[in-house]
Amino acid sequence: MHLQRLLKTASFKLTALYVLLFGLSVAALATVFYFNAVRVLDAQERARIQSEASMLRGEYERGGLPALLSGIRERQRGRIAGGLDYTVYRGDGTRLFGNLPKVPFEKGWKHTSGPPDGDEPPGQLEQLLVYRLPLSNGLWLMVGDDIGHIRELGHVIEDMSIWGLLLAVTLGVIGGAALSLAFLRRIDSITRTAEAIIAGDMARRIPLRGADDDIDRLATTLNRMLDRIGSLVESVRHVSNDIAHDLRTPLARLRQVLEDGRRSARTPAEYEATTERAIREIDSILETFSAILRIAQIEAGTRRSGFRRLDLSGLAESLVHSFAPVAEDGGKSLSASIAPGLVLEGDAELLTQMMVNLIENAIRHSRDGAAIVIGLRNGPAGAEFSVADDGPGIPAGERERIFRRFYRLERSRSTAGSGLGLSLVAAIANLHDAKIIVSDNHPGLKIVIVFSQAKSETARERPLSRAAE
Amino acid sequence: MKLLLVEDDAQTAGFVIHGFRERGHVVDHAPDGREGFFLATYNAYAVAIVDRMVPHMDGLSLVRALRSAKIQTPVIFLTTMSGIDDRVEGLEAGGDDYLVKPFAFSELYARVNALARRAPVSTQQTVLRVGDLEMDLLKRTVTRGGAAIDLLPREFQLLEYLMRHADEVVTRTMLLEGVWEFHFDPKTNIVETHISRLRAKVDRGRATGLIQTIRGSGYTIRAPATAP
Repeated sequence: MHLQRLLKTASFKLTALYVLLFGLSVAALATVFYFNAVRVLDAQERARIQSEASMLRGEYERGGLPALLSGIRERQRGRIAGGLDYTVYRGDGTRLFGNLPKVPFEKGWKHTSGPPDGDEPPGQLEQLLVYRLPLSNGLWLMVGDDIGHIRELGHVIEDMSIWGLLLAVTLGVIGGAALSLAFLRRIDSITRTAEAIIAGDMARRIPLRGADDDIDRLATTLNRMLDRIGSLVESVRHVSNDIAHDLRTPLARLRQVLEDGRRSARTPAEYEATTERAIREIDSILETFSAILRIAQIEAGTRRSGFRRLDLSGLAESLVHSFAPVAEDGGKSLSASIAPGLVLEGDAELLTQMMVNLIENAIRHSRDGAAIVIGLRNGPAGAEFSVADDGPGIPAGERERIFRRFYRLERSRSTAGSGLGLSLVAAIANLHDAKIIVSDNHPGLKIVIVFSQAKSETARERPLSRAAE
Repeated sequence: MKLLLVEDDAQTAGFVIHGFRERGHVVDHAPDGREGFFLATYNAYAVAIVDRMVPHMDGLSLVRALRSAKIQTPVIFLTTMSGIDDRVEGLEAGGDDYLVKPFAFSELYARVNALARRAPVSTQQTVLRVGDLEMDLLKRTVTRGGAAIDLLPREFQLLEYLMRHADEVVTRTMLLEGVWEFHFDPKTNIVETHISRLRAKVDRGRATGLIQTIRGSGYTIRAPATAP
């Protein structure tokens, strides 16, 4: 059932190719080995025969025929297995000594065959290599040896190669099939996950095997993509839910205002008051809408193309100067420590709005007499812009949620606001690759924005005014 | 003054026309960009109010065409898009100001007035005067009746903006954009706070207050003699 798919898998095809290449290289290796081994053995054999022959010639030249014959006999007496065969002929062809088959009298090498001596395969003659050396007085010395063992070695190598090849191919095919099956199973698990997600189980993710291999990396990337899609889908669903819910409240209020006016307003002044209230309600609804649009636009990321290098320190400092009197008038204090010379590629308008939202949040949601501290410093991970207060803070469990759209703490439901200010902050931070850290200020709340992209421009005096305030 | 309104939405057009006529101004209305261009070419208007999304020729193209025809009528764009890129686009096309729909009429009125009375670019004033209040833009000093007034940089900017628009109503939004470069609505009363501090420095202990609050609209700075 799986066989057809198995044969089609890339892994199987690769294995087949690998087996073929491996087989070919084994064969090539065996061939080269065979020829080299035969060549080396043959050369050794010839060197041995030649040296024996020339030694015997030396003995003949010193002591004549008797010395030659006694030399041969002596060698034959001490003969061990694999010893050489010797034969001496007179010039007219009569054999003086030895039993090598007759070969033509020409100086040099000759392959010939003789009667079997028992170590050959059945039915074959003995294979002989003979060296022919003419001596003085028309004598010929023939020195030969059985070279059957060289051929035999060739056969052994051939057999080994064939078995090796068979084994390599078998193992390769089994291994390839096993690998393909494993590969297929993992592809199948990705397919099954995708099918489950299509069927509606948005929470499903591709299981990881734990090995840091290609498929796991692919699965991780796919899972991250699924997470991203999931969060987008989730946020779209949230927004539509939230719009429906959160706009119902102001719309219902508006309706009450108008109904109330119709029922009880009698004088023009009373009607005017009703109209004023209705306009205020409508304005707040419109503001919510434009905040939603703005967040959506920022999240679309198109603003990045307009990023310019800007003076983050200057921006923060000017905002501190602007908001310190506001805090003071509200019975709170605002102090700051701004490190000079921090620059960033970014959108000045959006960053201004982000900082203003954070500062205003601190001013509006802290207790009377609260101390708000604004900071900008060059931290280890980049520029850190922080706003801290010593107010009631936010319970640890709710800290992540404050950046969600329309999220409002229970206690601030009564104060005005769309609940979108911090979502906007999150969107702007995200656009600038900045991280938001919400922590406990013991007591109070501290929000830190870490701009990893910011740089410090030190040793340069900024021409910005440093008005004391 | 004579104004041109290029706006296809009948209700908005009616709202704007009614508002200006009530205050004694003349408004010509063009329901599409082509007619708007035609009218703007053959009449001299103090200010043109142009909706960005009008038929036949959109607002941006209309203003670009006017500018390339060397017609320098000040233009304020109206738009329903509260987009952040739109303002820059509008200004680059040759617009002078920008207002997001829906808007309060008082806001539009103040901005149109500011555009209509804008001093020609050539007059580079170095000293601004309102009554006995004097601002030297080069030395960055402010005096009232000869006595120096010490202002913080932001207060100086705020006063400069008011004095450049002396006798005009300046809205909160105009101040936010012109002084703070905030193109959004802050949730705290930053403008009110700074105005009250500025007023304390400029007007405290004086018989006549120069900085006045126009209820429901904004602020104005005017010398007592020219007050109505």
